Amino acid sequence: MPRASEKQLESTRASLEHQKAWFAELRRNVFDGKKPYAIAQADMPLELFELLGVPVVSNQWWAAIVSAKRLSGYYFDSLNAAGYHEGLCRYCSLSLASSISGDPAKGPWGGLPKPALLAARLTCDCIQRIFETWAASFGAEFIALDSPGATHLPPRWWELSRDRWRELYEPHRLDLMAAQIRVLIRALEKVSRRKFSQARLRSLMERVNRQEEYFEEVRDLICSAAKTPVRMNEQVINVMNAQWHRGTEWAVSHARAFRNEVRHRVGRGIAAYPGEKLRLMWVGAGLWHDTDFYTAFEESLGAVFVWSMYLAFGPDGYIRYGLDDPLRALASRVVSMNEQLHNPPWANEWIVEQAKRHRIDGAVILVPEGSRPSATGTLFIKHALENAGVPALEIWADMVDSRRWDATSMRQRVATFIETRVQRS
Amino acid sequence: MSGAIEKLVWHYQHRSAEALAQHKAGVPVVGLTSNTVPWELIRAAGCFPVLIGPDLAVLDKATPFADRFVEPVFDSRIRAIFSDVLSGAWSFLQVLIIPRTSEPEHKLYLYLREIARQKLSHKLPGVYLYDLLHTRSPISRKYGIDRTKDLMRLLKGTGTMDWKSLSNAVKESNSARAALRRLQDLRRGITPRISGSDAHAITGALYFMDRVEYAKLVNEACHSAKSAKPLRGPRLLIKGIPLHHARLHYALEAHDAVVVAEDDWWGSRAVHANIAPARGAASLVRAIFENYYLRAPSPRVSPIAVADRWFQIEVRRGVDGVVFYLPPDDDVYGWDYPRQRDYLYAHGIPSLLIREDASRGLSGDTNAQLQGFMEQIRRSRNASRL
Repeated sequence: MPRASEKQLESTRASLEHQKAWFAELRRNVFDGKKPYAIAQADMPLELFELLGVPVVSNQWWAAIVSAKRLSGYYFDSLNAAGYHEGLCRYCSLSLASSISGDPAKGPWGGLPKPALLAARLTCDCIQRIFETWAASFGAEFIALDSPGATHLPPRWWELSRDRWRELYEPHRLDLMAAQIRVLIRALEKVSRRKFSQARLRSLMERVNRQEEYFEEVRDLICSAAKTPVRMNEQVINVMNAQWHRGTEWAVSHARAFRNEVRHRVGRGIAAYPGEKLRLMWVGAGLWHDTDFYTAFEESLGAVFVWSMYLAFGPDGYIRYGLDDPLRALASRVVSMNEQLHNPPWANEWIVEQAKRHRIDGAVILVPEGSRPSATGTLFIKHALENAGVPALEIWADMVDSRRWDATSMRQRVATFIETRVQRS
Repeated sequence: MSGAIEKLVWHYQHRSAEALAQHKAGVPVVGLTSNTVPWELIRAAGCFPVLIGPDLAVLDKATPFADRFVEPVFDSRIRAIFSDVLSGAWSFLQVLIIPRTSEPEHKLYLYLREIARQKLSHKLPGVYLYDLLHTRSPISRKYGIDRTKDLMRLLKGTGTMDWKSLSNAVKESNSARAALRRLQDLRRGITPRISGSDAHAITGALYFMDRVEYAKLVNEACHSAKSAKPLRGPRLLIKGIPLHHARLHYALEAHDAVVVAEDDWWGSRAVHANIAPARGAASLVRAIFENYYLRAPSPRVSPIAVADRWFQIEVRRGVDGVVFYLPPDDDVYGWDYPRQRDYLYAHGIPSLLIREDASRGLSGDTNAQLQGFMEQIRRSRNASRL
C-alpha cells in the first residue's frame, strides 16, 4: 500500500517546485529587492494584480505559511497579550498578528515587508478592522470592496453561473462591484505604473476558463473512477497553487498536465489507495496545521478523503462564458465568492450534489472555532447531507491555530464516526 | 418613578404589545431587526414599524428553534430573534425587514429564507433584505440610495406614500429625537439626574412604540427627572456589543456607578440629529436615507476614524471611566478594544474590560474588579478636587 505521506503525482511535485520558485522570486523581488507588492484577502480579484504586474501575498496563504512554520501559537499568544481577545477570528488575523505582535522579524523569511497597498472585501464585520489596523501599522493604503447581500437565490446556482451569471448575481450587485473594482484598478495602476487593458483582462479570463475546464475534467474523472486516482491532499496542492496564479500560462499548462496525469492513472486503473472501501468528503477549509489527518483513516478503515471544495469549486465558481465585458464578468466572480460555500441554500444544495456525484459515504464538516463566518451554514449543510443519506460529523477546530487541536482524540472521534455510522450506512 | 417613566419601561419590557394592539386594530405591522431601517418610510406607508426585540424573557429561556439551524457562533440576540420568528410569534407581520448592518443579520435573512424555502415552518412572515452598506464612499452611498428606493417600492405595495405622508412621518420621528436629546442632556454633566438603567429602558422603548405617544411620555419623564436628586456616583460610559437589556447597567449601579452613556443604538446612539425638511418626496427620501447612512451606528461603518468619532467626542465631554463590554460571543468589537483603550489611556480616562455575559449575572471576580475600578475612579476624583 502507498505511504500516506508520499506524493504520487508528478504534477504535485511540479506544483510544489513552481511554488518554491515563485516564492524565491517573491523573496528576491519583494523581501530583498523592495519591489512594491500588495497584501490581499484571498477572495479579491487576484486576476488584476497578475494583469498589472503587482506581486500579491494573500492573507490566507501567508497565514498557512506561518502556521506551517509552527508560529501560530507564538503570534496568537502575542496578539492576545496586546489586548485582542481569544474569541476573535483567527484565520484572517494570523498574518496581521505576525506583523503587529510579538517579534515580526521572527516570521517566515524575516516577516512581511511594508506593502504598497492592502486590499480586502468586507465580508464579515471584522475584515475592515483587521485590514485597517494592518494598513495603519505599515503606513500603507487600504482599498476596501464592500460586500452587498444576495437576494436572488436559485438553489442550483451552478447550473446558471457559467452562462447566466448576469442575472444570477443581480445587476445592481454587479454594478457596485464593477465600480469598486475600477477604484482598485486605479490604485494598482499607480503602484505598477502600468495601464489596465480590457483586452488583456479578457484574454486572462479566457485562460481562467480553460484552466477550470481542465479541473472539471479531473473532477469528472474522480467521480467516475472506481477508486479515487488522486488523494485529497494532492488535489489541494495542484489546484491551489494554480488558483493563486489563475489565468497565467503556467496555471493553464499545469492544470492540463494535472488532467493528463489523472486521466492516465484512471485509464490504467491506478488508485491513490488501492484498499479504498469508503469515500469521505471534507467540508470546509483545510486543516493546514495537520494535513496528515486526511490520510489517517486509509490503512485502518479503508476510508479515503476524495473530495474537498478546493478542486470541486473551481469549475462551478470561476468559469464565466460571454466575456464581452470582462470586468463585469470578473465582478460577478468576486461578488459571489464564498457565498456558494457558506450561505444557504447555495452551500447545502451544492455540497449534496457533489456528494452524490462523488459517491460519498460520509462527510466530515469543519466548523471553524476561530473564523465565525466560515462556521455559518454548516448546520444546513449537515441536515442536507443527512437527509440525502450521507452521514455527517461536525468537528470544531481551527484551520491555522493548533493550540487546542488534539490530534489523537480527533482521529479517534472520526474513526468512531466511520465505524459506527459510515460503515453501517 | 414617574408615571411616564413607568409606561415607557412597560413598553420596553413588553416589546410586542403595541405591535399586537396595532395589528388587532387593523394597522399593518412591519418588523425590523436594527436601527438602520428607515422608520419614516414604513410609517409613511401607513404601517406600524416595530423592532423584533428580542423579548427580554428570552435572556433566561432556551432557544430550541435556533439550536437546530443556527450555529453557536451567532450572538444571543440573533439566535433569539431567529427562535422567536420560527415560533410563530411574528407571523402577523406584513414583512420583516432585515438590514445588511451586520454580517449576522445578513445570515439571519438567508437562514429565514432557507427555512421558508424548505417549508420547515409555515409561521414565517416574508423577509426582505435592505442592503444598506456602511462604507463611506460615493459608490456605497449611491448603492444605498438605490436600495432605499427599492424599499420604497416594496412599502408602496402596503400603502400610499407621498410627500405629505413622508413629511408627517419625519415630524413624528423628529419629535421623538428631540425628546431623546432632552433625555441625554439629563444624563450629561457633573450631576446626572436619571439613572442609566431608567434612561436605557426609556430609550429602548423608542423601537416598540408609537412615536407621538413616545415623545409625549419622554418629555414628561424629562420634566419630572429635572427636579430629581442629582446622582453622585462615578459616571461611566459603556462601550462594546449593543445592549438589548439593562442587566449590565444594574450590575454597575449595584456599585453606585451612574451610566451616563452607551456607545450603541440601544442607548445613547439611538439619538441623532433631526431629518431636515425638504421640498418634494424625492429630496425627503434622500434626506431620510442620509440620516441613517451617515449617523446610525453599525459594526460595518468604515473607515475606523468615522466609526470612532462619537466615542472620542463623548469621552472627552466628561466621563469618569469607560466599561468595555465584550461578552464571550463577541467576535467583532474586540478588534476595537486595544485601540480605544489606548485612546482613553492617552486622555487619562480609566477603563475596565468585562468579558462575561452580563445577562447571566457577573461573577464574584468581576464584581471585585468592578469594586476596585470604582475605588480607583473615586480616588482620582478626590485627588482632582484637591
